[in-house]
Amino acid sequence: MGADRVSGAAGEGAADVAAPAPHSGPAEAEDLAAPLYVAWQITNECNLACLHCIEESGPGKAFADELDDAQVFSVIDQLMASDVPYVSFSGGEPMLHPQFFAMVERVCSRGAQLKVETNGHYLSPDNCARLGDLGVKAVQVSLDGASRATFNRMRVRGEFATTVEGVRNLRAAGVPVEINFSPAVFNVGEIGAVVDLAHELGAYSFYTGRTMYTGNAVKAWRHLQVSDAQYERFFDVLRAKADEYRGRMRVYFHEAGLLEELRFRLKHPAALLIVLPNGLVKLINALPFVCGDFRRQTLAEIWANFRRAWHDPRVAAFIDDLAADPARTRTLHQWVHL
Amino acid sequence: MRLTKFVKFREEKFGGVLFETRSEKVFTLSPTATAIVREMGAGDERAITARLREQFDARDSATIEHDVRSFVADLRQRGLVED
Repeated sequence: MGADRVSGAAGEGAADVAAPAPHSGPAEAEDLAAPLYVAWQITNECNLACLHCIEESGPGKAFADELDDAQVFSVIDQLMASDVPYVSFSGGEPMLHPQFFAMVERVCSRGAQLKVETNGHYLSPDNCARLGDLGVKAVQVSLDGASRATFNRMRVRGEFATTVEGVRNLRAAGVPVEINFSPAVFNVGEIGAVVDLAHELGAYSFYTGRTMYTGNAVKAWRHLQVSDAQYERFFDVLRAKADEYRGRMRVYFHEAGLLEELRFRLKHPAALLIVLPNGLVKLINALPFVCGDFRRQTLAEIWANFRRAWHDPRVAAFIDDLAADPARTRTLHQWVHL
Repeated sequence: MRLTKFVKFREEKFGGVLFETRSEKVFTLSPTATAIVREMGAGDERAITARLREQFDARDSATIEHDVRSFVADLRQRGLVED
């Protein structure tokens, strides 16, 4: 989910351009009339208070200036009018947004594909049936452990059994499931078991990568930090699991560090907008730069500024600074408007 | 013939894009490939070729047929289309 996205995993890989055979060369974001993917953190409110949460979401953590209902539907209508093919709702916990199902319906009824990224605590049989009926592309559930001990330690206020039951409810309703896993020192050894559990639960995709040093993770880092040796073993297991489940479940993992990812994105920006609950638009989740505001600008204006902003020298400078001081990721919430 | 459920198509100035949303991969399309995708509703490769012959110079008929066959075969191999 957006709030606990690991470096480079899930949505941030979107709009990578594959090289098709008989066609023209790769399209860069600069060539496109509109984004291909909008990752929208629809609220910062959350029922959980996870140790690693990038967005520092939690109970009572909704932004005071989150978009109102009219603004929310105006944004959706602009996305649909521009033929944005793929949207995700995350948070916080997106299912806590009072207009959640109306928003899902608005997107799905206009033909775009929608992914919901949730902590899995509101996946009752009725809610799963509604998501299935509305035609969501997939629901991504965060499963940060193969046991109650590890899951509940990471997901403060969360309950492993509730999440597992929620995933089973999704499958019973015929909703495609993706599983996301964020590693920490206390759960990294369970990675093989978590991949197995994801498959047993019927997931078609599994995502993971390196947990970022930002948001809540800054304060909890001594409880989270995974050593280089542990990561080495972690990715070894993932490579083996990717082979084991080939053709049955896709195991995606992003081994590159944040710096490598950002340097690549500087040259090849993904056609992806990150929308915050208050309508501000970030250049990319792992940088502090804001390139638009849906309360004051149209999608076309924001998209034009997004493409321009990647060339702003402050972006390259920040990435260079990260090379010298990787801990600068702790400042990602000190937004810089470009 | 049609794009599979998880593939979205959008026309662009340079041609078009196909977005496979399960793998989150984007395929860029030349103007020719874009025209082929646009005509997919016509039916199989033969029907698409016939439609394109109406739009383009008939002297390029062999080229059109070759492009349609090779492109559709590529899409099938990638699991992007279904009948």
